[in-house]
Amino acid sequence: MQVWRVLVVEDDPAMREFFVASVSRCAGLQLVGSVGSVAEARAWLDDDDHMVDVLLTDLGLPDGSGLEVIRHATRLHPRCEPLVISLFGDEDNVLASIEAGALGYIHKDSAPDDIAQTILEMKDGASPISPMIARKVLAKYTSSRRAAEPVPERPAPARPTGEGPLLSPREQEVLTLIARGFSYAEIARLQSVSVHTVQTHIKNLYSKLSVHSKNEAVFEASRLGLLQSRV
Amino acid sequence: MAFWRALALCCCLCGLLAPVRAELLELRQAHVSTLQDGAVLERETRLPYNWDRQHQWRSGWAEFEIPLRFDQPPIEPYAVYFSRVGNRAEIWLNGVLLSRFGDLTRPNHEDYAKAPQYVLIPAQLLQRENQFRVIVHADGGRRGGLSTVLVGPEVEVRAHYHAVYRWLVNGSIAVSVFSLVVGVIALLLWATQVEHVPGVPRPRRDMLYLSAGVAEVCWMLRLSDTALTDPPLAWPWWGVLQTLAYAGWFCGSALFCHYVAGWQRHASMRWVRAMVWALLLTSAPAAWLALSRNDDIYLTGWYGFATFLFIGYAAVYFWGSVRKPTTEHVLVATAGVFNVLVGFRDWVVIRASNNFGEISWMRYSSVLFGLALGYIVIMRFREASAQARDLMDNMAAKVQEKEQALAASYHQLEQLAREQERTAERTRILRDMHDGVGSHISAAIRQLQSGKASDEDLLQTLRDSLDQLKLSIDAMNLPPGDVTTLLANLRYRLEPRFKASDIELAWDVDLLPPLASLDSKAMRQLQFMVFEALSNVLQHAQASRLSIELRACPEGGARLRVVDNGRGFDPQRVQRKGLASLRERAAAIGVGLDVSSAPGQTVVEIRLA
Repeated sequence: MQVWRVLVVEDDPAMREFFVASVSRCAGLQLVGSVGSVAEARAWLDDDDHMVDVLLTDLGLPDGSGLEVIRHATRLHPRCEPLVISLFGDEDNVLASIEAGALGYIHKDSAPDDIAQTILEMKDGASPISPMIARKVLAKYTSSRRAAEPVPERPAPARPTGEGPLLSPREQEVLTLIARGFSYAEIARLQSVSVHTVQTHIKNLYSKLSVHSKNEAVFEASRLGLLQSRV
Repeated sequence: MAFWRALALCCCLCGLLAPVRAELLELRQAHVSTLQDGAVLERETRLPYNWDRQHQWRSGWAEFEIPLRFDQPPIEPYAVYFSRVGNRAEIWLNGVLLSRFGDLTRPNHEDYAKAPQYVLIPAQLLQRENQFRVIVHADGGRRGGLSTVLVGPEVEVRAHYHAVYRWLVNGSIAVSVFSLVVGVIALLLWATQVEHVPGVPRPRRDMLYLSAGVAEVCWMLRLSDTALTDPPLAWPWWGVLQTLAYAGWFCGSALFCHYVAGWQRHASMRWVRAMVWALLLTSAPAAWLALSRNDDIYLTGWYGFATFLFIGYAAVYFWGSVRKPTTEHVLVATAGVFNVLVGFRDWVVIRASNNFGEISWMRYSSVLFGLALGYIVIMRFREASAQARDLMDNMAAKVQEKEQALAASYHQLEQLAREQERTAERTRILRDMHDGVGSHISAAIRQLQSGKASDEDLLQTLRDSLDQLKLSIDAMNLPPGDVTTLLANLRYRLEPRFKASDIELAWDVDLLPPLASLDSKAMRQLQFMVFEALSNVLQHAQASRLSIELRACPEGGARLRVVDNGRGFDPQRVQRKGLASLRERAAAIGVGLDVSSAPGQTVVEIRLA
């Protein structure tokens, strides 16, 4: 049986202890580290001997944002899948985390078993998304795109996602149903697909949003002339 | 400046007109035979011969025989000069007609007496003994007759003639053109410089320009007479018109002076007006009387009256300019006094005494008024444009001031609105904390203090508290009126509880367009209501099935139903705290609420407008 190596980044010692305990108790998970600040997390991740599959990080750290840890981890450990610890799961924080590269989020008030379960499910291909966030993603990546597309500001440089719209029609349908409050199971039934397929859609979406936001930053930078294009 | 120039001009004029050159012979002795009213009269006379004086201003004929004797007849070409001959005349020498000025048989039209005349004497015509014969026909009161006769070498005579002609005729033409230009400009200014005074229906024009314009145009008419040998009107009507024009000139000038001094609102204005109108209205009758009754006393009297009136006026005016000197006033006063003095001289020399060859000097001195007017117009224009510039600057400054004030008040308003918004937001959050997380935490404290509550109950209360907190954060991001998202989010938040309770959830929620009737505050209240209804089902109903429905109503609005198949309750008898709070909130945001319950079917229906 595959065992996933987990790094916990959380500044509140009690909370950190709770997550450490939750991870340690699960047979499928192995705690490889637990730190309390961005600097410690960076140092841990910079060590070549350390390997990690799952990053569990709080956002509000004493010396910076958990988003920095996420970016650092995904750069050094491409196979690492970050999860954000969020008290409220509010849309602004969650969307920022997703765009930084997070593949899901865990509520602080979850039961210990639920935490381990969420990690395992994510590794299995499931990423939760709330209706509010689904709605926000739809609003951000479809309507604005549709509105912007007929009148491109300038022909060059080409949009990084020039292959087509960011969201496929199927992904849009799934997101719309989530925004309406349907569960994955209900969506799977409505779409005549398996729950796993629905979950895959969502997880793909997470990666897309992360990649897109990175490309978008590069695109914006080159558009503003901040980067010199080397041909 | 103008004064000195005019003075210099007068001096030149006097110098040129007065002396006669020594080489020229001035013939004064003549034998005259006149024909008037059928009576012939012959006598010896001395030139100049003023017809009007000799013949009581009545028309008639005169034939002058003027001898000229040389010791040695001249070889060089000779010419003869008359400073005044006419009104129409023929010039004969030794029986040969030298020249004819006008048609002797046509009275009251042509007048050659206004300008000097020059006649060339053919070679070999002059002998030792010679006789000029000058036949003259004079109109009554037209200053006809014969001046002294000047004979001499052609070159000298011609030079003398040209000098006089230049000053008298060309000078008059130049002054009349100048007057015309000044007059037209003044009239144009009067017609175009219109001031609209609020409350007065008719626009106000500057009478200063009108009086100056009338004066200058009249003066042009008067002076142009010198150059008109054959005037458009027959005598004596032409003479009447000339007098009227003269009156128009000095009356206009007087009014102009009064306006320049700024005395138009002064009590003296009435008297000046009366004087001006009296002179203007009496001018034509006086001329008519003098010319039709053949008595110059009427016109001389009228001129004298006008002259003395203006001497008085000029004295008063000059005194005014000394007392309160302004550039304009002093300038005009100087021109006025000078003109009055010149006018007095003209009256004495031409009207009151017998000076046949004299011409008026006023034609030249009047230029001073034109120059003064020009100066005044330029100064007033400068002043007006300076005022306009000031006004514009002032206005620009005022506009800027107003803009700043507007920006400030807008800023203040904005701040006030922001402050209000912040206050409202704070009130909402406080209320939210009080109703939601606050009440749950205080409930948890009571549960702990009583010691009766189980761990499970306490945990439930705390979970409720955190859920309320999450919901209140979500409510901040809920788009106003979007009930679908509200329900979806609620389901998402309560998902762990549904899982734990083993209730089968039927989700039947339509995608609705946002309802305009629900603002963000109402959204939060609605969230509370649905949360309350769902909590009731989860905690008390012991149901196995829960259905959440959202439908758009055909008549607009929407219907939200929470239906369970639990044990039910009697809504009339059971006054549960949750139910009361549900009713309160529904009333607060103005939505319809129906609760019906029976064992196996409990429906909470919320009707949204």
